[in-house]
Amino acid sequence: MDPSASSQPEFDYLFKLLMIGDSGVGKSSLLLRFTSDAFEDLSPTIGVDFKVKMVAMGGKKLKLAIWDTAGQERFRTLTSSYYRGAQGIIMVYDVTRRDTFINLSNVWAKEIDLYSTNQDCIKMLVGNKVDKESERTVSKKEGIDFAREYGCLFLECSAKTRVNVQQCFEELVLKILETPSLLAEGSAGVKNIFRQKPPPADASTGSCC
Amino acid sequence: MAVPTLTSTQRYAAGALLALALRQAQLQQTELLGFSSLPGDNYAVPDRSSSSSRGSNFSGSEADGDSLQLWTHPSRGLLRPVFRFLEIDSKAWPGLEETAGSSDAMHHILAYLKIMVEDDGGSSEKEEQEFALAKSVDFMVMSLETAHSSEETTSELHEENFESSKLSISKLSAIGEEAINRYKNARDREAMMADISLSYPRKVTILFELLSACVADSPQDYEKDSMRRKGYDARHRIALRLLAAWLDVNWTKMEAMEIMVAFSAMAADKEQQQSQKSRSSKGKWVKWKRGGIIGAAALTGGALLAITGGLAAPAIAAGFGALAPTLGVLVPVIGASGFAAVATAAGSVAGSVAVAASFGAAGAGLSGSKMARRIGDIEEFEFIPVGGNHNQGHLAVGILVSGFVFEESDFINPWKAFENNLERYAIQWESKHLIAVSTAIQDWLTSTLTRELMRGGAMMTVLSSLVAALAWPAVLLSATDFIDSKWTIAIDRSDKAGILLAEILLKGLQGNRPVTLLGFSLGARVIFKCLQHLAESGDNEGLVERVVLLGAPVALNSDEWITARKVFIIFC
Repeated sequence: MDPSASSQPEFDYLFKLLMIGDSGVGKSSLLLRFTSDAFEDLSPTIGVDFKVKMVAMGGKKLKLAIWDTAGQERFRTLTSSYYRGAQGIIMVYDVTRRDTFINLSNVWAKEIDLYSTNQDCIKMLVGNKVDKESERTVSKKEGIDFAREYGCLFLECSAKTRVNVQQCFEELVLKILETPSLLAEGSAGVKNIFRQKPPPADASTGSCC
Repeated sequence: MAVPTLTSTQRYAAGALLALALRQAQLQQTELLGFSSLPGDNYAVPDRSSSSSRGSNFSGSEADGDSLQLWTHPSRGLLRPVFRFLEIDSKAWPGLEETAGSSDAMHHILAYLKIMVEDDGGSSEKEEQEFALAKSVDFMVMSLETAHSSEETTSELHEENFESSKLSISKLSAIGEEAINRYKNARDREAMMADISLSYPRKVTILFELLSACVADSPQDYEKDSMRRKGYDARHRIALRLLAAWLDVNWTKMEAMEIMVAFSAMAADKEQQQSQKSRSSKGKWVKWKRGGIIGAAALTGGALLAITGGLAAPAIAAGFGALAPTLGVLVPVIGASGFAAVATAAGSVAGSVAVAASFGAAGAGLSGSKMARRIGDIEEFEFIPVGGNHNQGHLAVGILVSGFVFEESDFINPWKAFENNLERYAIQWESKHLIAVSTAIQDWLTSTLTRELMRGGAMMTVLSSLVAALAWPAVLLSATDFIDSKWTIAIDRSDKAGILLAEILLKGLQGNRPVTLLGFSLGARVIFKCLQHLAESGDNEGLVERVVLLGAPVALNSDEWITARKVFIIFC
């Protein structure tokens, strides 16, 4: 869990995680909290941001490549190309803004269906900003129901107070580790730093003319 | 300082596209073009239909090491100055670099192109600017073409000597086509372009912005990045070439843009210089005008640039006006609005001090100075300008090396018909020895060899008979003895000349511009040695853009080729 370990090149598996959700729900803040244990006022993400975190879990050294996408509408086309090859997708909403929760089913879940290339990819629903309990407009129950309907993991957390942030990523990663097909993708061949080998499931390789 | 013609999102996407192109260009570097049957090359005959094998080849050759090897890595200093110039938020940089480095870059290209289309400012003023810019580029292309045709007529006299240059032209264009085909093959680019209807002016604007960004450097980079060479990097050029192919923009248009950027930058830079030291430089200015071109860097001790006499007017638009001999009709036709568009697009180039270094002391550096014979034994080594492209703001240099000559004019004549928009120089080197060995070979070919061939009834081409000679009886072989000594000397000299050429390139006498090297016979060996030397003396990847070797007397030892190939991009 030591952030300084991120410079260490050796790892057993490399997992690509993706964070999606409306603008302002706190995707970048969650990531910042997870990778550097910090919290600050962030301006809206431009395009995509990328962070790496090394973790040890289940006796394995893991390298997490976490892509933090912009929630803004104008970058929507851009983020679509980042679903490809992701082993885990974190859908984030703001528990104090009901529209961000509604949009998950209206927009983001559809995006996943449309663009994700990975059938077994693990999805995780995260309700952020539980520190603002008094302003809450989305109940935990609703979150659980949504997660059940779409077959994903669920947690409520707060990037500001650090509550449940580690758990979010840990649960997701543990689930990936339990899924053999995802494990195969994340290991061995992809280890090479140039990451040039497209994942085996990549259909486009075969369709070249 | 603002770049007004594109919105911030578009600039972001443009930066991303350049990053992707840069990455793809690096992948292409490790693939052999026009050389698929290199014997003994068991490591990289790429499977063209499969992008995955390309990837593994790459990692094999470039060592496992670190992502430091990536051209997109920050330490390379290739991308970040461009991002900074495009005013992309620094927070977005790591994401872009990582995206470019990731395996499925091709899918991202589509997305970034889409965002170019979708994020439309909608302002008609911008559209007008883009349109004006595109138009002026078109006219630049037209004027370039007319300039060419006039050159061609004057050089028709040398028709008989053109074979080698024709060969190299066709070789170059074949390489170009092959490369482009490969990009097409790599992904169905056609389909991709079909559903993204980027307007032509928009494409031109994107490329123009990126070009300006590549040429310009922000001064603060120099302190931080020692690896960064000043000026227009060969790797940038190849990335732009690739990007232009993706966007379906003809490369000649890019070349036209290069010239426009060069001139607006020069004019802007000059304005700056003048305001900086209005009085003290007066005397120098006169000199500059009179001399036409000079290595300004040497005079002022700074990163100034050499400017043609006609470029004395301070304003940017006036700088373009001074192009008149080249541009011809451009001024009246596109009018002020076109210039304004160009000026706004390129204007911010002026903001960066070091832009001058790009086209620096080139003319004077290469043609003016006879090289000091720093390496013993080389008696003759001189750059001779070829063609009419000198001091017209070309952002790319071609260096042409002959290797089979009977008289001194053979150093230049073969290249006279080699028409493209490079600023070309031929190297005249060791003419005594080259003529000696060439003549010896000719004598030998016309005497013993041909007689024997006639008798044997085997009228093969000269080339194939040379190969056949290997299997000939000892009696005939003795005839070759007298070539041997001359050949050995010539080989030795060519190696030394190659090192000398490498040192010249390292010193930046060509003015920090991407260089294309062409050579045949022993000239090709000179280039090969030059590349080897460049590779051995450190990180010189940004110098040489393309290389064409014809009939190089070099052993096909793959190790040596791998070293040499590290330093340039497209290879044949």
